[in-house]
Amino acid sequence: MTNKVLTICPYCGSGCHMNLLVEDGKVVGAEPADGRTNEGNLCLKGHYGWDFLNDPQILTARLRKPMIRKEGVLREVSWEEAIQFTAEKLTAIKEKYGPDAIMGTGSARGPGNEANYVMQKFMRAVIGTNNIDHCARVCHGPSVAGLTYSLGDGAMSNSIPEIEDTDLLFIFGYNAAVTHPIVARRIVKAKQKGATIIVSDPRKTELARIADTWLPLKGGTNMALVNAFGNVLIEEELYDKDYAANYVEGFAEYKESVRKYTPEYAESITGVKADDIRKVMRQYAKANKAMILYGMGVCQFAQAVDVVRGLASLALLTGNFGRPGVGIGPVRGQNNVQGSCDMGALPNVYPGYQSVTDPKIRKKFEKAWGVMLPDKIGYHLTEIPHLVLKEDKVKAYYIFGEDPVQSDPNAAEVRETLEKMEFVIVQDIFMNKTALHADVILPATSWGEHDGVYSSADRGFQRIRKAVDPPGDVKPDWQIISELATAMGYPMSYRNTEEIWDEMRALSPKFAGASYKKMEEQGGVQWPCPTEDHPGTPYLYEGNRFSTANGKGRLFACEWRAPLEQPDQEYPLTLSTVREVGHYSVRTMTGNCRALSQLSDEPGNIQISPGDASSLGIEDGQLVRIISRRGRIVARAQISDRVKTGATYMTYHFWIGACNELTGDALDPISKTPEYKYCAIRLERIPDQLRAEQKVRQQYESLRKQMHVGAGQA
Amino acid sequence: MKKEQPNSFVIAEAGKCIGCKACELACFAVHNRDNGVAAAVGTVTTPVIPRLYVIRTDSFTMPVQCRHCENAPCAGVCPVQAIVQEEGAITIDEDRCIGCKACAIACPFGAISLYKAYSNGQEHKQPYLRERLDGRLERKTRVIAYKCDLCHDITNSGNIASGEIAAAAAVNNSGTPSEGGGEPMPACVSVCPEQALKLVSQSLGASRSRKAAGLRL
Repeated sequence: MTNKVLTICPYCGSGCHMNLLVEDGKVVGAEPADGRTNEGNLCLKGHYGWDFLNDPQILTARLRKPMIRKEGVLREVSWEEAIQFTAEKLTAIKEKYGPDAIMGTGSARGPGNEANYVMQKFMRAVIGTNNIDHCARVCHGPSVAGLTYSLGDGAMSNSIPEIEDTDLLFIFGYNAAVTHPIVARRIVKAKQKGATIIVSDPRKTELARIADTWLPLKGGTNMALVNAFGNVLIEEELYDKDYAANYVEGFAEYKESVRKYTPEYAESITGVKADDIRKVMRQYAKANKAMILYGMGVCQFAQAVDVVRGLASLALLTGNFGRPGVGIGPVRGQNNVQGSCDMGALPNVYPGYQSVTDPKIRKKFEKAWGVMLPDKIGYHLTEIPHLVLKEDKVKAYYIFGEDPVQSDPNAAEVRETLEKMEFVIVQDIFMNKTALHADVILPATSWGEHDGVYSSADRGFQRIRKAVDPPGDVKPDWQIISELATAMGYPMSYRNTEEIWDEMRALSPKFAGASYKKMEEQGGVQWPCPTEDHPGTPYLYEGNRFSTANGKGRLFACEWRAPLEQPDQEYPLTLSTVREVGHYSVRTMTGNCRALSQLSDEPGNIQISPGDASSLGIEDGQLVRIISRRGRIVARAQISDRVKTGATYMTYHFWIGACNELTGDALDPISKTPEYKYCAIRLERIPDQLRAEQKVRQQYESLRKQMHVGAGQA
Repeated sequence: MKKEQPNSFVIAEAGKCIGCKACELACFAVHNRDNGVAAAVGTVTTPVIPRLYVIRTDSFTMPVQCRHCENAPCAGVCPVQAIVQEEGAITIDEDRCIGCKACAIACPFGAISLYKAYSNGQEHKQPYLRERLDGRLERKTRVIAYKCDLCHDITNSGNIASGEIAAAAAVNNSGTPSEGGGEPMPACVSVCPEQALKLVSQSLGASRSRKAAGLRL
């Protein structure tokens, strides 16, 4: 007897509806369902990415019991002991150093919105700090900051289905074919329906290949190119003068800022031909409906917020807001990174993007939660290494559903940070590299094993549902956090996720009408949804009223800054970190799916140009050594004629070829997002390939042992 | 069975393909139900062996697979007549195949590859040929030729009602009508999220082209 459980795919922000097929309490398959964004389609991760639930122990093993480090070794303990121990340690650290010595994370992945709500409430109401942040900081943090500045809301202004019904798609630093195949489907359809496609990317991605115009800019020159676009719009008077006069502010300063960035000047920086810059802006301005989509190629630079504002300015100048099929879309990567932002797992806002520094709002939350709340913005996730190693300010770290050793830049520094902390809590579903440094491990239920709500990239709240019972002695995240809060003297006693959800929406005007019932009836609810009788909002800024203080969109441009670490004689190549389609994030999930793991496995690849490969004497498929100022790793050379000479690319999914051992920790000054897309490296040929292969195999085996693979319990 | 109809084949549009390899995995999944692959690939113990191959060059990306040639050159070079025409498809009798590789060389599309044979999730060992492994003689695993069979066995086994193909095909058919009407689609066609793959039946394709040509006059 096969049961079908309707839920949302746990990979990427497309928010695809799917059925999990369950037999005898085990998931045996997945099939697409008819969701708003996916319309009966799934990508390969949706189809074949569920069997990590059955704990096949390929890369790492499921956590099945709470653990405490005793005499240096993680030992299994009871839940009572784990909660009591954790509560006492956190209380002691809070008393000794103050609440701001404790940092917590949200989780943009499996746990769901309710768990994130409870987590930020725990940090704010129980610990007494706004030190809560999550991996949006290392991805679309600049979108939240930049678009809030320009438009008022830090999310996609448009909806995923609208993508196929626009006249022009301007895709900037966004490799949808790899990160969101189901969004790429809309782009392909837009092309079929006659839309003009423009892609700006240093690499010839699949979308660059099908684009009408590909702008192969040099890595790290986004701002110069975006300024030049603005320059053309103004110099050639292509912008919408009525729109700029009525709905936009800051025109005079903007005009002044972009004056210097003529297409010829930009060509000298970006390598993109001046004529192409002019051509695409003429097309963009002329299109009746034009839409910008962007991704990590914009956000993962030390100048990211500026570029986000610059892109929003292009849409503002051309009047591309307030209608279907226009706008600007930061397409969120992880399945629920929109949701963890929505829930206020950020150091500056409560749920619903309500500022922690606004006394009226703070009072509302103080009244609801029955405690005094801190009025100071908390620490950013990416500042933690510095705050620990240099300033000695943070003593405890509650890491919930994240793996910073694998995902954050400069892994050696992250490890040092964790080692120096007095107390590290890891709450996860799998053993991971970060958990190796934990003092306590709290094992949680996975997607498929609990209920909740995810937010898709286009602001869509959708229900996830429990399909199977979890293995071992594990609990839902919100329940673990509630028990910890209770043990620390702040009772939390939610009976289910709907209770949490209702508490959250009662405090968040933007989400107030998005009930479970409405999600059931409509399949999902896109925020803003202010009242019970409101159906939700597919696109923002109807009537060209922006969510800024005075309702106007704000133009912005500033000088281009070069990336911080430039190649030199010792490190002559640049490295940018990217994704591949069959894997997801830190790979604990897809690396434990048999088919996906076999499609692409350790040690991972480095993409290099044929020219660089031949001058280094490297052949396709060979193992190579990759060295930066921060670390050294081994990966497989993948020679690609879609890569420019001097540039290299690695995906951040792999544990042996872990590119974050190499990346730098330069941050954007506003969003504190790291410059993953640009650092200097050198490549070395390995003469003895046989031995290198052997070493990789040994390394993999020892890694898996550390991850408890094969330690009983199948 | 319709008579005198040329073989159908699956072909991809490079303008739609995003290179995601969902087709490779779907192909593997439906052909390995006997190897512990249940409704999908969750219980796989064998390596992923696709029967179509996503290729990527500077200017295009698409899967390449067998064209089910009417005068199949692979069959012409097979010394044991393992390759035959049956019910609208060119198929390889995997039990007969001796792994000589002639077909792989003869194929003008590179659509045939040789991999280890599996049955019941285990490598299929040969009765006679032994290989030296770490100084010991062990029975050598059979290696056989694999290629697209248009999901011939699966669609003809009547075993698809609860399977992935039917489910995916149903969804597909409700979206964009695919060639071949209500017939079950090969797994790669059903699963492609970009609808880049299609099953081309010659008669349908030709009549459509003729109509289009007529309209142009």
